[in-house]
Amino acid sequence: MPPRRITKVLVANRGEIAVRVIRTCREMGIATVAIYSDADRGSFHVRNADQAVHVGASPSRESYLDIGRVVDACRKTGADAVHPGYGFLSENPAFARAVEEAGVAFIGPPPESMEAMGVKTTARRNMAAAGVPTVPGSPDPIADEAEAHALALQLGFPVMIKAAAGGGGKGMKRCDGQADFSRLWQSARREASSAFGDDRLYLEKFLEQPRHVEIQVFADAHGGCIWLGERECSVQRRQQKVIEESPSCALDEPLRRAMGEVAVKAARAVAYRGAGTVEFLVDVHRRFYFLEMNTRLQVEHPVTELVTGLDLVRLQIEVAQGGQVPAQEAVVRRGHAIEARVYAEDPARGFLPSPGKITYLRVPAGPGVRDDSGVYSGWVVPQFYDPMLSKLLAWAPTRDQAIARLVRALDEYTVHGITTNLSWLVAALRHPAFRSGDYDTGFCARYQEDLVARPDPTLEEVALVAAALSAFKRDTDEAEAFAARAGQASAARSRWARLGLSRVLRGGTP
Amino acid sequence: MSATGPITYIALLDGGSREQAVEVTRVGPGLYRVRLGGRVHEVDAYRHDHGTLSLLVDRKSYSATLDERGDRVRVRLGASVFDMEIPDERRLRLRRAAGRFTVEGKQTLTAPMPGKVVRVLVGPGAEVAEGQALVVIEAMKMENEVRSPKAGKVVELHVAEGQTVEGNAKLCAVE
Repeated sequence: MPPRRITKVLVANRGEIAVRVIRTCREMGIATVAIYSDADRGSFHVRNADQAVHVGASPSRESYLDIGRVVDACRKTGADAVHPGYGFLSENPAFARAVEEAGVAFIGPPPESMEAMGVKTTARRNMAAAGVPTVPGSPDPIADEAEAHALALQLGFPVMIKAAAGGGGKGMKRCDGQADFSRLWQSARREASSAFGDDRLYLEKFLEQPRHVEIQVFADAHGGCIWLGERECSVQRRQQKVIEESPSCALDEPLRRAMGEVAVKAARAVAYRGAGTVEFLVDVHRRFYFLEMNTRLQVEHPVTELVTGLDLVRLQIEVAQGGQVPAQEAVVRRGHAIEARVYAEDPARGFLPSPGKITYLRVPAGPGVRDDSGVYSGWVVPQFYDPMLSKLLAWAPTRDQAIARLVRALDEYTVHGITTNLSWLVAALRHPAFRSGDYDTGFCARYQEDLVARPDPTLEEVALVAAALSAFKRDTDEAEAFAARAGQASAARSRWARLGLSRVLRGGTP
Repeated sequence: MSATGPITYIALLDGGSREQAVEVTRVGPGLYRVRLGGRVHEVDAYRHDHGTLSLLVDRKSYSATLDERGDRVRVRLGASVFDMEIPDERRLRLRRAAGRFTVEGKQTLTAPMPGKVVRVLVGPGAEVAEGQALVVIEAMKMENEVRSPKAGKVVELHVAEGQTVEGNAKLCAVE
């Protein structure tokens, strides 16, 4: 791969990750192009970019997933590179090819590496051949529901139904028994089709009490391939990660190094280039199994940035320009980083998404805090896309300090107008099982009751005072405004008398 | 400045199952006397930017944020969130008359959020069990099942597969 200079990056994504990529581009003096759908004209990433191109209607299939329109946007703006972010087209080899064929650099791995890892069943076969341990499951995607059902019985419930083209929890269902199989299979199939345009599914045995630990890898075109430490991602709801941290409490140094080396081996086996993540399940006996490799930047990449001090987006761009990754010995990890994903959703109603208008937003600040957000006060969170608003991170020298810092920052986070999971996140971070570090992917389900945030009863009186004073101020302001317009003190008094009477009726006791 | 008030407000807590009276008197600029649960508090209130109230209650400092949506108000103090309603007199009477929430009689199910109906799992007249999934709505790339609140029969069906619905749109009714 000859060295090439990147001068203008089109970010083929939306929301916080588009903003994240644009920030680094700006720091590097690289121009940026945003793309947007109908629903996203007012989106934060559009006004942060130097140029913006409308690519279609609100449903992602008609805009962010339309390869022709995205490539066309590169041509129109003269972008010489595309950053795909995560999700959408980021792991689509046809997109990477179409971009390269248009003479534009794709900031990501070669399409062949994506293919080797992208179809999850092929990846599992490749990894098994390379001597990497894998979870028992179907060797190929299964076309037929009856066949899948038979295999599920053979593997034994619970099983995981997964999208062959999948990632990010979309099209992924845990099935505990045969009564639910048909319903979950069909639901997974529709989600997979809608999220990836590919409805192929496969099955995996569900391991009991597994921990989800992933290794960040980085490879260049000169044979360099390094690992940048792990991220523990076992706090998940609806098969989606909510809290991620590094280092993981489940790993000691020899296990960490062993997993790092296996991850590098996995990346080398598919001639990888750029940023990638090798996901593992670690069981109660501290055995680890290859789960999948995500051939893109992960949502939770800032966790690794905080412990290593590296800017992974900058490194991606440098590698795409023909640069080299640092030496393994040069990677120093220090302290503890932890991320919480702030979602527009209602934990009390099964994490139901809560789209709508953000009427007020105030984000936390202070020592060791980072907020990667894609929203602003006044933005209407659309119903068409992922409900994540922001990723809030804290760094500190120790795990306890990092958790305390993140809780403090979450307390400062204020979002009005829509329901968020902020209180749920605090309850999760404060939970003894999380604090002890001894938790697995069953954490959210097992402690569901504990995690429904209950307000501190000693503060109820203060809350009542606040609400009553606010109502009082509104009512008296109205009355005074009325009096001012009437321009007469007597009018004010009579208005007051009326108001007073209505309050007596309202409350019953004056 | 002479005292203003008192005005007594009734706050509904826990979805209306609890009531609490709060009597407010303004005794000076930003200074209030608040009677609550038989106790009187001296309160100094300073209104900051949008929805934020700095409260000094008996000299303790609190920062409360208020997310107001009509009568409903969500008060947040640190990680504690209190949902309450301060209805006017007419609505308070209605709320009191409505009594406790029940699943007796016909239950109409509505869309919990705007989205697309991807599956209708039952037909009109179908016998359904409590907790059975009736309609599947896709929003924000995730599927969400709308389940029956009770055992009964589907007596109304308002939507078809593929249809786009607004939040709170009627989906079906079970009796």
